[in-house]
Amino acid sequence: MRDVASAVLTILVFPGFGFLFVCALAFHWIDRRVTARFQGRVGPPWFQPFADFVKLLAKEDVLPVGAHERACALLPMVSLAAVLTAALHIPVGGYVVTSFEGDLIVVLFLLSLPALAYFLAGWLSASVFSVVGGSRALLQYFAYEVPFLMALAGPAILVGSWSVSRISGAQSGGLWTLLVQPIGFVLAFIGLIGKLKRSPFDIPKAKSEIGAGPLTEFSGRKLALWHLSLQVKTVVGIFLLVDVFLGGSGGGISLSGVTLFGVKCLLVLLALSVTGVLYARLRIDQLATMGWRVLAPLALVQLLVVVLVGG
Amino acid sequence: MKGAGTVGAIIRWARRRSPWVLHFNSGGCNGCDIEIVDTLTPRFDVERLGILKESSPRHADILLCTGPVTRQSRARLRRIYEQIPAPKWVVAVGGCSCSGGIFRGGYNVLGGIDQVLPVDIYIPGCPSRPEAIIEGILQLLETIE
Ligand code: SF4
Repeated sequence: MRDVASAVLTILVFPGFGFLFVCALAFHWIDRRVTARFQGRVGPPWFQPFADFVKLLAKEDVLPVGAHERACALLPMVSLAAVLTAALHIPVGGYVVTSFEGDLIVVLFLLSLPALAYFLAGWLSASVFSVVGGSRALLQYFAYEVPFLMALAGPAILVGSWSVSRISGAQSGGLWTLLVQPIGFVLAFIGLIGKLKRSPFDIPKAKSEIGAGPLTEFSGRKLALWHLSLQVKTVVGIFLLVDVFLGGSGGGISLSGVTLFGVKCLLVLLALSVTGVLYARLRIDQLATMGWRVLAPLALVQLLVVVLVGG
Repeated sequence: MKGAGTVGAIIRWARRRSPWVLHFNSGGCNGCDIEIVDTLTPRFDVERLGILKESSPRHADILLCTGPVTRQSRARLRRIYEQIPAPKWVVAVGGCSCSGGIFRGGYNVLGGIDQVLPVDIYIPGCPSRPEAIIEGILQLLETIE
């Protein structure tokens, strides 16, 4: 009975859903605030993401005629569920809900489900903007996903384990993967920007071109869930990067470890925000070219180095 | 739309703190539109009040209208209003959208926005200053139940 209770607590509170929800809103706020500061503004108050979320929940939920109602209701939930499940396998400051050999692959799979849901949402919601946005999202997926996967395969091969916790733990005391595989880290970082559809890879939801992209026709609760799933995905992506490349919490469970983990996460978030501010949006063909001509070959080189030298 | 008790209070609070606007010009001279764009610049930083400009009517709460309603734009204005999910509010920005302004009585002009939509707040000026627009939106937020 105690076991069940503690398991439920880990899944629902820490480091499970409750913690992720708070983190998602907090990271989103920090991101907006940093962006605002870079633009010489003050930026939104700390409760802004929460206010937005509640407001959207309390709004009317409409869909245009011709949209696939059931699918449109289901897709944001699928997206959110996938990222929440992925988070269960990623250690947060040394705590992890479940971990097994091969969970890195499960995490990567679950993190790419939202991209598919996003595309389908665009396709099924009966609007020109959303269809264009959806097809762009899919194209973008093919451009960043392969380099991202190869970049994350590097550390796994080096450590000889496909478990996020193991990879994270293997760096305690030793070198961070970042120092051993700098190219891999940069590629994973770029891939993460693509995954999160952040500027400069916000091609599927380019505001000045195609409305709000695949989410153009979504409103109310569904839109709130979409936003939340993207925000949680940001958090999960940052956790994953910190665990795999930046040494996680530095091994074991301790207060300093948790603090260290938090600081690293904030640094990655800051890097994401700064990149978003500094670079303007690419065109989809530029991204595809970059993905296959630059990122993928670099990832191959990195993998080869790992296999030949490290393995 | 009114909630009861604490939940209602939280929802009301959230609505006041997170007004997302959509901007539509139904036939003005573009002067007011430039002032709205000005309002959204970092100089005035309306994001600190939670105001965001959305590009899809489905995401918006407030419709910022500029210009008089012309015969040609009437149907579109109505359609955009109908696409916004409830609860929604309409702000008439500038003399034209309040009454028709200098275009009033023109052969193709129906008059102010209130000829077609229920307007919640009128912001005068030709064009309205950004400060006036922000003030108007804030006054509108005060009245949100
Ligand atoms: S109120 Fe003045 S500035 Fe605004 S649209 Fe009308 S004529 Fe142009």
